[in-house]
Amino acid sequence: MNHLDSPDEQATVSRMHRPILLIPAFNEETSLPQVLDRVRETGIDFEIVVVDDGSSDRTGEIARNTGATVLRHPFNLGYGAALQTGYKYALETDTEFLVQLDSDGQHNPADLSRLLQPVLEDRQDLVIGSRFLGSDYRMGALRAIGRLLFSAIARLFGLRVSDPTSGYQAMNRRVLSAHSQDSFPVDYPDVNVLIAASRQGLRISEEPVDMSAETRASTMHGGFRSLYYVYKMLLSTWTASAIRRK
Amino acid sequence: MPPEFDHEALRELFLSAPESEATRIVAIVIAVLLLTTVLWLVRRRGLREELTPIWVVTAVGIFLVGIRLDLLHGITRLVGAWTSSSTVFLLSSLFLMAICLSYAVRLSRASVQIKNLAQETALLRGRLDRLEHRNADD
Repeated sequence: MNHLDSPDEQATVSRMHRPILLIPAFNEETSLPQVLDRVRETGIDFEIVVVDDGSSDRTGEIARNTGATVLRHPFNLGYGAALQTGYKYALETDTEFLVQLDSDGQHNPADLSRLLQPVLEDRQDLVIGSRFLGSDYRMGALRAIGRLLFSAIARLFGLRVSDPTSGYQAMNRRVLSAHSQDSFPVDYPDVNVLIAASRQGLRISEEPVDMSAETRASTMHGGFRSLYYVYKMLLSTWTASAIRRK
Repeated sequence: MPPEFDHEALRELFLSAPESEATRIVAIVIAVLLLTTVLWLVRRRGLREELTPIWVVTAVGIFLVGIRLDLLHGITRLVGAWTSSSTVFLLSSLFLMAICLSYAVRLSRASVQIKNLAQETALLRGRLDRLEHRNADD
């Protein structure tokens, strides 16, 4: 069911600027067209914003040809920085709501409205799409341990999330403001960011989503990067814990 | 049976050994060379003025130690070392650690500034594209 089909909800959205669908992309000329096609099939009226994170292929050009707004970094800054550019754009254009989705096709656009709905109704500030709620998503042993570890750490801070590394999220302007600070990580905005948001008093929940096998994550967290990832998360979680709880 | 050494007496012997005049000259030459290099780099615009104080202070410090070697002996006694060269090695290591940490802090700040500038460039270019698009439609 498309949750935005009801007249009240459509009226709510139309009174404001269209929600932004943010897609950070780095050298994704192969998968991006399919992702954009699948987004259009949902029929939801988004402003699609593709942040081209310094790609050396035709990512930006392909996105522009489909009518998307393209923000191009002059050089590669990292996944977190690409997301933040989108957040800053949303703030600059007075956009109230934003959904972010990966450009590698891992996230299913059919879940967009389910994620956005609680934010539109002001029941939540940030909604995370969880691949583990109501499905038997399978991942490698190490990654599964990592997920359990970071879920447990989040729980220490009073935050219950089953999928702390999910990049499929919907948020409102309060979250956009919080995420536009200089402290937002340029590489891995995962559980550290969620804990920081939670401590700032933002309401966070999860919705079940359908996700295909990881592609981006495998390139971002492979090899020695896994060790760095764990180190970085623990350090930035500790930093986030210094934020005074609201 | 090995002979027993009086370690304290041995250490005192090390500490009271006279420094050669060559040590003094080497220290003074290093200080002058460092200061000259810093000034030359500033003049050639290879080094910004605001980054020079730590190097000038270091050059002055080496110069002072060169002309007053007893200062170095005092520090050697204070830190429990046996020889002045150990103290010089220790101080050099501490200095290098401090300078690396200082540059890491500056680099962190510069990284944030570069990221913000690149994002600003992307946003401005996006705005320019939209304006050009709108003008073309009109």
